[in-house]
Amino acid sequence: MSGSTAVAEARERLLARARSEGLATVAYDRIDSPVGPLWIALGPKGVAGIHFGAEPSEGELRRLVRLYGPGIVPDRRRVGPLARELDQYFEGRRREFDLPVDIAGLSPFHQRVLRALLRVPYGAVTTYQRVARIAGNEKAPRAAGRAVGSNPIPIVVPCHRVIASDGTLGGYGGGLPAKRLLLELERGEAPPGGWPKRA
Amino acid sequence: MREAARTFGELLERHEREIFAYALRLTGSRADAEDLFQDTFLAAFRSWPPPRRDNERAWLYRIATNRAIDGSRRRRATLSLADLRLAAPERDGVTPLDLARAIRRLAPGQRAAFVLRAVEDRPYREIAAVLGCSEEAARTRVSEAMKKVRSSMR
Repeated sequence: MSGSTAVAEARERLLARARSEGLATVAYDRIDSPVGPLWIALGPKGVAGIHFGAEPSEGELRRLVRLYGPGIVPDRRRVGPLARELDQYFEGRRREFDLPVDIAGLSPFHQRVLRALLRVPYGAVTTYQRVARIAGNEKAPRAAGRAVGSNPIPIVVPCHRVIASDGTLGGYGGGLPAKRLLLELERGEAPPGGWPKRA
Repeated sequence: MREAARTFGELLERHEREIFAYALRLTGSRADAEDLFQDTFLAAFRSWPPPRRDNERAWLYRIATNRAIDGSRRRRATLSLADLRLAAPERDGVTPLDLARAIRRLAPGQRAAFVLRAVEDRPYREIAAVLGCSEEAARTRVSEAMKKVRSSMR
């Protein structure tokens, strides 16, 4: 048996004990996806965070520690259900996520914006303007844009389905190629001539 | 010095390999090493956060060392080859088995001193911090442990 297997097994038993003592609050793992590596986290009340890249940003980690304390642990087994749903989504076999999202701790407006996003169906697109209206603040599309842009649970909370009102892609935390890929995955193909470039 | 870990996960990912290897060297058996490894990290999690003035690595080593010394664990006589490779690097024609046996014969405090110096090559300043004694006392303990290991391998 190799040393790393021994350490992995020791870690697994350690995590089981930490869980039973209530010391481990959030489980995380790193997965590969068509949009690159993702750092994904599952908390006691649902999906706690998804981050493009193998490590969460400083701000994201601070947010998670503030909400859940330091018990954020690498636990592949516990985060498995989320990894499976994401895999199925990327394979085109899942259109909705069953796991709940935990967006407590965000401002009421931010939460309303993210809930509005959760109502945008698979394959559809909407605009920042419309999201602002659903979130109850029609006159604040920029604020809605910022709230969409700081979505801590991308993909599951489908901020990629929000595009600019002129039909251009707008922005995306995971980069525009990722946004394009997600939209094409859901919609089958890009609009004729591709997604319009911002003028 | 690197910023202190902010989550249990960061602490674990940074140090789990070396703490497991250290636990193997201290206990000489995979089962006991696993217990010591778990006890060490659980104790660290329970007494979170890591002390600010201290190096978190020295803090973990100190917890592991104290746990190994305090615990009246029964050490098992069987050792797998994989455990030994991890536990005792071969040097100077001494087989890992010889070395592991010699280490196991030491008292827990001496064993920690020996492992930290002879196997892990740590400076006396750090050994003293881990053992909670003066640098001079650490030197004495290491030299006594070395003597014992040498004589038991003859």
